[in-house]
Amino acid sequence: MALFSINAEAAMHWSPVPKEKSHGHGGHGGHDRHAGKPFLLHAGEGAEVQLMSPSKVVQPLTLEHGRVSVKAMGTGNYHALVAKRSVGDLHESAVRYIYMNGKPSGVSPSLLIGHEKSALEIEPAPLAREHWRYYSNTDAQFIVRFQGEPLAGAKVHMQTGNGSSAEFAANTEGLVTIPLPEDFTYEKPGRMANPPSEFVLTAEHHVGTERHITTFSYGYHINPEHWQSTELGLAVIGGGMFIGGFITLRKRRRREKK
Amino acid sequence: MPIWKNLSVIRKFVQLLAFLFLVYGSVFVGFYSADKLSGAFPVLSCAYDAKTADYCVLIPLQHQLGHGLGPAIAAGKFTLSLLLPILTTLGTFLLLFILLNKAFCGWLCPLGFFQEVLGMIGQKLRLNRTESLDDNLVDRIRPAKWLMLGLLVILLPLASGLGFVGHELGDPFCQICPSRILTSLFAGQLNQLYIDTSSTGYMILSIIADLLFGLILVLSLTMRQPFCRICPLLAMHALFKKVGLVKLVKNYTPRCDKCGLCAKACPMDIREIHTSKEKDILMPDCTLCGRCVEFCPDKGVMALKYAVIPIKVSDPAYFKERNKAQKRWEGKQKPSRRVKKD
Repeated sequence: MALFSINAEAAMHWSPVPKEKSHGHGGHGGHDRHAGKPFLLHAGEGAEVQLMSPSKVVQPLTLEHGRVSVKAMGTGNYHALVAKRSVGDLHESAVRYIYMNGKPSGVSPSLLIGHEKSALEIEPAPLAREHWRYYSNTDAQFIVRFQGEPLAGAKVHMQTGNGSSAEFAANTEGLVTIPLPEDFTYEKPGRMANPPSEFVLTAEHHVGTERHITTFSYGYHINPEHWQSTELGLAVIGGGMFIGGFITLRKRRRREKK
Repeated sequence: MPIWKNLSVIRKFVQLLAFLFLVYGSVFVGFYSADKLSGAFPVLSCAYDAKTADYCVLIPLQHQLGHGLGPAIAAGKFTLSLLLPILTTLGTFLLLFILLNKAFCGWLCPLGFFQEVLGMIGQKLRLNRTESLDDNLVDRIRPAKWLMLGLLVILLPLASGLGFVGHELGDPFCQICPSRILTSLFAGQLNQLYIDTSSTGYMILSIIADLLFGLILVLSLTMRQPFCRICPLLAMHALFKKVGLVKLVKNYTPRCDKCGLCAKACPMDIREIHTSKEKDILMPDCTLCGRCVEFCPDKGVMALKYAVIPIKVSDPAYFKERNKAQKRWEGKQKPSRRVKKD
C-alpha cells in the first residue's frame, strides 16, 4: 500500500512502513509490543539517522534500503526519529514522533518535543496523543523554530498522502494553524474500516547562502463525523432528560400519596 | 457560621480546584507535563478530554485487559510479565488511594462535584428534593456498582481480547461513562457527544452513554448523586478501603439508636452508619464527604480521621451552627401539591 504519491521534489521525510494487513487495533500499536516498528525515510540517501528517547538519550540507527526498525530505548513514551543531512550550504532534517511501549519514562515528552533536534524545526503544539488524534477537517497547530527561537512568518507547505497540498504562513510567534483537509474517500463507517493517511509539513529558511529544510510527518484519520452524529446524540440526551423528568415526577407523586 | 469553618464549604472549594485541575490540567501544567502526570497519577479524569492533566485508572485497566492480557491468553502466550502493566496500574492507583482512601470520590471526582452542583441548583430552584431514597431501592441499587466493575471493566474487555465479543466491547465502561461526555464538554469539545452508527454495538453503547448523561442531568437536580451509586470506581475503592489512611470512626452510644441524623445527612443513603455499633463505619458506598460527622449532634461520637489524627470530630456547637447554615441555604422548600390542597 503506497501511503504517498510524493513527487520527485518532496523533501526528506519519515513515514511508517505500510502494513500488509490491517490488524484492526489502529492507534494501539498492535499486540506484539516488543517488536520493532519499521519506518521509511523518503529521499534520505546519505542522511544520519538517530532515535532520541524522552530523556534525550540518542541512539544512532542504520538505514537499510531507506528503512529502519525502531525499538524503545529502555523506557516507553514518545521518542523522536530524526534524520539529518548537510551537503554544502543545504541542511536538511526530518523529524517524526513515535510512541513506544515500555517502562514509564518519568520524563515529560515536552522536554523532547521542545528540545532542539535540528536548526530548523516544526514543533507540534501540541502533538495529538492518547485518545485524541489528528483528524481530517480539523485544525492542527505547530510552531516553526529556527535555532530554538520561533520563526515569524515562516512558510509551511503541507502535503498529504491523499493528494492534497497547500501552503500556510506562521504568525509573529511562529505559530501556524494547518487545517487538515477532508480528502479521504469515505466508503465504510468506523475508524478501523478507514485506514489513516499521512501528512508532511515542510518548512524552509534561508540565512545568507545557507539553506535549511525540515519536515514533520504524522498520521491523520478520516473525521469520525461521517458515522458519528452529534445531533442524534443531543436528541438522545434530551430523551434521557425526559425519562429523568418522568422518574422524578412519578417518585414525587408516590411520596405524596403516602 | 463563618464559611471557612464549614466542612462542606471547604470540601466544595477543594472539589472546585480538583475539577479545574482534572478537566483543564494541561492549561495549568502545560500539555506535555500533563502527559507525565497521566502516567504517574491515575485518578478520575478522562483521557478523551484534550485538556486534561490526568486520566482515570479505568482506562488503562480496560486497555491492558482487552489489548494485552486477553490476546496473549488467546494466543497461548501468557506470561507473568503480562500482569505487570496491570499491577503497575493498580499499584499507582493504590498508592494514591492509601493517601486519600475513598475521599477520591467525595473530594476530587469531577462527576461527583458536577452532580452536587446540580443538586444545589435544584435546591435553589426550589425543586422538591428527595433527601433519602427508600431503603428497598437503595438495596436494589447497591449491587450495580459491582456489576459495572466486574462486567464492564473486567470481564467484557477480557472477553473482547480473547475474541469472544466484538472490539467495541474492549473498553465498554468508557463507552458509556458520563464523565467522558461531561469533562470533554467542559473542555469545549463536542466530539464525545454523539451516536455512533458504525456498528450495532457502538450504536447501542453510544445510545446508553447519552441516555445516561441526560438522566443524570435531570435526576441530580432532585436526587443526591445518582451516578455515584452505580460507579465502578466506588466498587474498586470498596475493595481497598481498609488500606486507606482516611478513616471514618464512630464511638457508639445508646443515643445513636434514637438519633439517625447522620444517616439522614448521608448523600449515599448509608443507613448502616446510624445502626452500626462498630468503630470502623467506612462502608463500601461511602465517599468520605464527612456530612455524617458534621450532622452528628453528640460530642466525639463520630470522627473523620487521617490515620490517628482527627480532621473533623462531631460537636454539638458545630452541629447547631451547621444545621442553621444548612436551613438558611435551603430556604423554604416548595410545599408539595398535596399540602397545597390541604
